[in-house]
Amino acid sequence: MKTLIVIPAYNEALNIERVIRRLTETAGIIDYVIIDDGSSDQTADICRANGFNYISHPVNLGLSAAVQTGFIYALKNGYDAVVQFDGDGQHRGEYIKEMEKRIEEGCDIVIGSRFVTEKKPLTGRMIGSRLIGAMIRLMTGRTIKDPTSGMRMYGKRLIRTFAENSRMTPEPDTVCHLIRLGAKVAEVQVVMDERIAGTSYLNLSKSIRYMLTVSISILFEPWIREDKKLTGEEKSA
Amino acid sequence: MSVIFRLLLMVGAVFEFILVIRMIRKSAMSIADSIFWFGFAFLLLLLAAFPGIAFWASELLGIESPVNLVYLVIIALLIHRVFKLYVRLSEVNDKLTRLAQDLALRNNEEK
Repeated sequence: MKTLIVIPAYNEALNIERVIRRLTETAGIIDYVIIDDGSSDQTADICRANGFNYISHPVNLGLSAAVQTGFIYALKNGYDAVVQFDGDGQHRGEYIKEMEKRIEEGCDIVIGSRFVTEKKPLTGRMIGSRLIGAMIRLMTGRTIKDPTSGMRMYGKRLIRTFAENSRMTPEPDTVCHLIRLGAKVAEVQVVMDERIAGTSYLNLSKSIRYMLTVSISILFEPWIREDKKLTGEEKSA
Repeated sequence: MSVIFRLLLMVGAVFEFILVIRMIRKSAMSIADSIFWFGFAFLLLLLAAFPGIAFWASELLGIESPVNLVYLVIIALLIHRVFKLYVRLSEVNDKLTRLAQDLALRNNEEK
């Protein structure tokens, strides 16, 4: 099975080299692509100087578009699975094998989850996570313990879906939508590291906006999303 | 509807008309996009020149003052326009994303 690691990076000059070195040297991974989302810092220069595989957006398009570029790349190059990986070093490559195993067992989405066996703390972020989890349970009857985890692996039949549909953002509302369309979801316990340098995509006003967007998208999903049941095309053997 | 208000409407309509013509000449606006604004200017002129229309319509709808009807029509048209603008913006945004992604992927292939 060929898995592509998609690493969206926006102004991650301070992190990107360490993240890639750890992936390639520690986890022995070669199939990755960095999506430099129009960074204004040295992210692209560092990628070029180190010979990393990277794609540079000419302008900043946002996280969703950056991940989508990765899916288009995966589709063009015939990958069987795509895993989204943070450019700031929060995610660890050692869990990829286990996630791949679940995909091979027939799952469409495997979430690298912080809370399968671990307890969820009571921080602002995690209250948001609980709310989203409750909404997904309401709409699908399924419990996703870590809906906001950014570490998700998608199987082959979803690669085309994500590559061709810009409404499929790599967010929990899309996971909810895909469950309703018949996608199989599994969670794998992972440990995530704190980001070491740089700032995250999210600040307070963006967080509120994010919660509103995700909530509307989940709760009104039956009315605002086209129902196209997933077909069984190209189930990887 | 006072004479001053009617004059104001006319001045506004003429001003808008000139502005639209100038934008088309400078190719800053397409003819297709200008149709709405020509229609809008024409409507303002019509309401100013024939106040009877506003009186008749406001009575029909139970609106106390004909001036309010004029406001209502303008606001409704503008809201509709803003909504359409949002739709257009989303489309343009999607297209821009596609273009930038395509360009980025091509550059990656050439390396």
